[in-house]
Amino acid sequence: MTMKKTVSLLAAALVAFVSLGGAHAEENPKVIRIAFSGAGVGGKPGSGSSYIATAHQQGVFEKEFEKDGIKIEWSFFVGAGPATNEALALKKVDFASQGDLPLIVARSTGLRTKIILKSAQFSKNYLVVPSGTPYKSIEDLKGKKVTVQKGTATQLLLNRVLEQHGMKEDDLRVIDMNSDSQKAALSTGDVDSSLQSGTDLVARGLIRRILKIDDPTVNAPSFIWVTEEFEQKYPHLVQRFVNALLKVAAWSADEKNRNEQFRLWAKSGNPFGDYKEDFQGDSLRDRLNPLLDEYFVSMLNKSIGETKKFRFTRRDVSTDGWIEPKYLNAGLKELKLEGFWDEFDANAKRKTKAK
Amino acid sequence: MSTAQSLEETLPLDGVQPRLPKLRLPNIEFPTKALYKLLVGLVFPFLLYLLWKTAAEQSWLPPQILPPPDFVWDSLKDLLATGELADHTLVSLKRVLWSMALGGGIGLAIGFAMGLSPTAKAYLYPSFSLFSQFPVIGWSPLMIIFFGIDEALKVSTITIAVIVPFAVATYKGIQNVPAKLLEVGRTYQFSFTQTLWHIALPAALPAIVGGVRQGGMQAWLALVFVELLASSEGLGYLLSYSRNLMQLDVVVVCMIVIGLVGLVFDLVLTRIEQHFNRWAPKGF
Repeated sequence: MTMKKTVSLLAAALVAFVSLGGAHAEENPKVIRIAFSGAGVGGKPGSGSSYIATAHQQGVFEKEFEKDGIKIEWSFFVGAGPATNEALALKKVDFASQGDLPLIVARSTGLRTKIILKSAQFSKNYLVVPSGTPYKSIEDLKGKKVTVQKGTATQLLLNRVLEQHGMKEDDLRVIDMNSDSQKAALSTGDVDSSLQSGTDLVARGLIRRILKIDDPTVNAPSFIWVTEEFEQKYPHLVQRFVNALLKVAAWSADEKNRNEQFRLWAKSGNPFGDYKEDFQGDSLRDRLNPLLDEYFVSMLNKSIGETKKFRFTRRDVSTDGWIEPKYLNAGLKELKLEGFWDEFDANAKRKTKAK
Repeated sequence: MSTAQSLEETLPLDGVQPRLPKLRLPNIEFPTKALYKLLVGLVFPFLLYLLWKTAAEQSWLPPQILPPPDFVWDSLKDLLATGELADHTLVSLKRVLWSMALGGGIGLAIGFAMGLSPTAKAYLYPSFSLFSQFPVIGWSPLMIIFFGIDEALKVSTITIAVIVPFAVATYKGIQNVPAKLLEVGRTYQFSFTQTLWHIALPAALPAIVGGVRQGGMQAWLALVFVELLASSEGLGYLLSYSRNLMQLDVVVVCMIVIGLVGLVFDLVLTRIEQHFNRWAPKGF
């Protein structure tokens, strides 16, 4: 072959090689949309009590994906879990943090997601009544007005607690309100009871607690998921997301960051004191635990059974292919965080000791 | 046997050809005529149903947002069987009836006062006019503060929605009592009560009944809205609750039932209105 032909042949090969390589590279999305099932006080875009809330306050994802030119869009839904589900149905969200009931309801209607992390566990909740009222126990609330945000994990929690005391939701008059309205209604005495985890109103003497709910087999954990579609298209982005999140989780679980963490969460409008009191005596590492362990799986299955039992859905929900631990495992390995968090068994008892 | 003119027998204009095919309703008496009208009225809903079915099959909207008609039908049967639907509908109806009684009474009183007494009108009309501009929605925060979130809230909000149509209809009805009739009353030296009972009331009655019909419609609309706000039973509550549990099929069932009950309401009130209007010659 002549020199010219050789060069042109080589050039053509080079172009073909480059374009072929280019064609294989996945086009990244322009924006990653993350949804929070819940908003701060008065609908403030902020939240607390989980390491993903910390990630939002620290701008972790913005920094991580800046170099790819991907923007991050956060949505804080006052409508909580149900609103996140609607966004999911309309394909307006890629990642989300959500409680058990709306998560299960979404799957029962055919919405496809993959659970990649646990967001938080071992939270506490309290049955509260307005200060002037005479109610002493949950049985006193028969026929009374109780407010809860319908479709959220708190409603399922209420049903579990009622069942423990031999009651049903029908024994009460349940009124649907979002969290701000609940606090207002409790303060004016317009409702007789609610489930509240915050301290603020108690400290102000407006409500008092009549029942403490801190059994970890009753308080379900919360979840972080990614849509199946996003996960199939951009698994590399999901891994980076998980890795970035795990770094934050490790920071959050570090006891020396305790106050700083609460300060960040307090930007949601909930007072610093609320978080301080809520986490009093708890190990940060145990509560801000991302592992998809035995406790997690057993609680999820339990919630599914209860969702059917309490007739929140009439369809069956299978967990096949729903939980996807590979990103978590790869992330832990890469960041050398294996063993940093303890695993818990189905009865919420510690299985392995952290190194 | 109606002596009123009806649409079917319009006089054709000479030399003008009708461009649209005229709807020739057969000149047969009830019930066939009524049945025919019903069928014609069902054409549009049927087309809408076909559109819905296609949209669901083709997934123009995700099935979690737009449920297919069959699913909605199953849910309807389910809710009827458990009696849940009947319970909620009954609660909603009770609220409406209470509010219509209360709002109707107040509306009638205001309407009569403004219609019969120029002094009352001078004092009341500007405020009333202002009051009737606010949508019911605008009242709800205030109502919640005053009445809490119990039955009182629902009844008071719907009452407000009902007062305006009642008052306006009554006022206009009284205003439009022909002057000649009042003159006759003066000739007979009727007292105020006699004028009211023998002249004003019967003459204004058709308009008042029209107001009842309007009020009924407004009440039903306001009811659904107020039940969405803060309730623990009723059709609006069921609608809102099902949405939160992504049971859009129940949401559609609720919408259908709300529409149907409103329709029945309206039909009944229209018949009553027609009964009171039977002496009036119809233009259309």
